[in-house]
Amino acid sequence: MITTVVGSYPKIPDLPAPGRWRTAKERFQRGEISAEALLEVEREVTREVIQEQAEVGIDLLTDGQIRWEDPVTYFARALEGFEIDGLQRWFDTNMYYRVPIAVGEVQWTGPITVDDYRFARSTSPKPLKPVITGPYTMARLSSSRYYATFEDFVLSLSLALNHELRALDAEDPPLIQIDEPAILKHKSDFSLFREAMATLTEGVRAPLALYTYFGDVSGIYPEILDLPFDAIGLDFVAGPKNWEVLERAPFTKSLGFGILDARNTRLEGVDEVLRALDRITQHVPLDRIFLNPSAGLEFLPRRVARAKLERLVEVKRAALGVGV
Amino acid sequence: MKGLPLFPTTTVGSFPKPPYLLEARRKYLRQQISKEELRHLEEQATREWIQRQEELGLDIFVDGEQYRGDMVAFFADEMEGFQIAGLVRSYGNRYYPKPVVTGPVGRKRPITVEWFRFAQQIASRPVKGMLTGPYTIAEWSFNEYYPTRRALVLELARAIREEAQDLVRAGARFVQIDEPAIHTRPEEDFELAREAMEIVTRDLGAYTITHVCYGDVAKIYPAMLRLPVNQIDLALANEDYALLEVFKKHPFTRDIGLGVIDVHSHRVETVEEVVAGIRRSLAVFEPKQVYISPDCGLKTRTIEETTAKLRVMVEAARIVRAQFA
Repeated sequence: MITTVVGSYPKIPDLPAPGRWRTAKERFQRGEISAEALLEVEREVTREVIQEQAEVGIDLLTDGQIRWEDPVTYFARALEGFEIDGLQRWFDTNMYYRVPIAVGEVQWTGPITVDDYRFARSTSPKPLKPVITGPYTMARLSSSRYYATFEDFVLSLSLALNHELRALDAEDPPLIQIDEPAILKHKSDFSLFREAMATLTEGVRAPLALYTYFGDVSGIYPEILDLPFDAIGLDFVAGPKNWEVLERAPFTKSLGFGILDARNTRLEGVDEVLRALDRITQHVPLDRIFLNPSAGLEFLPRRVARAKLERLVEVKRAALGVGV
Repeated sequence: MKGLPLFPTTTVGSFPKPPYLLEARRKYLRQQISKEELRHLEEQATREWIQRQEELGLDIFVDGEQYRGDMVAFFADEMEGFQIAGLVRSYGNRYYPKPVVTGPVGRKRPITVEWFRFAQQIASRPVKGMLTGPYTIAEWSFNEYYPTRRALVLELARAIREEAQDLVRAGARFVQIDEPAIHTRPEEDFELAREAMEIVTRDLGAYTITHVCYGDVAKIYPAMLRLPVNQIDLALANEDYALLEVFKKHPFTRDIGLGVIDVHSHRVETVEEVVAGIRRSLAVFEPKQVYISPDCGLKTRTIEETTAKLRVMVEAARIVRAQFA
């Protein structure tokens, strides 16, 4: 069993410690510091959150997505064909993203995440996975003035992001994670989604994980198991129905077991999580489980995010019978 | 409404804090000044905003919320059952202090009534009572205590109801209950938000308003019209009045607080464009339904931008009003 995170991590520490990232971003927006100076701060903070995950004892890390303004524009700004518009709610959270608008053909013109991934890995004492927002979710959260149909938009994004996956693949990562929360809200699009995932992953050799969250996969299970991924991430907090869903067919992949609530401060008890783990092993053996929070941890204050990770590690130790 | 002109002008709640007050709030957090010293400056800033509203010629005033930080954390701080969990990002580098419910929620004492009285005493026009709605307080807090969101929302609704009643007893003729989070989970939760609003406003004995912003209003239309309030206040300007198309499909049966000033832009609108916006809106609303306001609270603008924008708004309302005289 591998402990991991789903992606984001709080960018600033709790008060009264100074929020270096926040201050730097403010000064950058006022034109007081350069883009290079901001990048330098973002890298320091990235190093710090990698260190924090490693210290706590998480097995498979991310860079905490410190440089992501939000999960959509981090990619859209770097692809050709998009303009960036006003703020919109990120699913049912109180976090907002800027809506990209496709005004021309969406094209990949060069690596988007590779430099960040290289930096993060170089500073990480543990294996670190890159994460990308998938083409279906990108298209759902954007709008288009260019594409004749939504299908065209999704498939064009899939092709563009396939280039990004290939570029990441060349870095030989332990795993590449693709986030597709939007498919849970539009399950009737599953055949389009299947096509998008095939295009997206073509020619990629690294192990791949598809993460869903903020809902359940009823209605697209067990079909989701046919997709070209080695692991599927499911959210058992916002999607408790995933429990029943797993009864319907054997779970044939590795499972990203999202069991600690990434969106509430209440800290789950070790016993409570152990019981859930016990229950999930009726479907998936321990050695095919990634134990992780239900979503990215940026919905929480830093101190609580860290406590959730500590809890994951305690649960793993208790489950494997290793002294805490 | 009686005592008000056609197209009454008002604002959504918050005004920017003057530099001396921002400095005082920082000092207070570092425990360098006392609560009394801070309070004194909050009163001074409130007086200044009442005076500015008099000069601008607005028809319905607000106290300007000079004593509030975040619209949810302010109520959480003043109520029982909450702590502040820490800072959470909303977008860009904007963070808000997110409360956490750790016990039964309720009022310890009136929360906004003293400020309402303070403002009303020195104002020549009616001052609105300004409350954050129960659904939004619940949605923008962590919940470690109540077994369901529903239980928390309804308990908060009872507390906000008491506050609204106290405001009316203190003389408020207008009570605004802001619900910017109301469309977070429309399919699942709209009925709950409506039920909570009903608890707050039932037989209140005042003209009630709710302000909704930040998201996909079209998703909760026309269901929104079932909210038991007299007026729904919405942001029209920042989307170039795109919502009017939505309202054409189903008649808008409440009064409308028509947001005609973009609060997220530094640019001061011209009188002509605001007049044009109001006129476009009259294709959808009856004149007597329409109250004129900015899109949202103005606290992120400077004092100069705020007064310049409001001057334009009042002038535009006057021009349109003159045609109906």
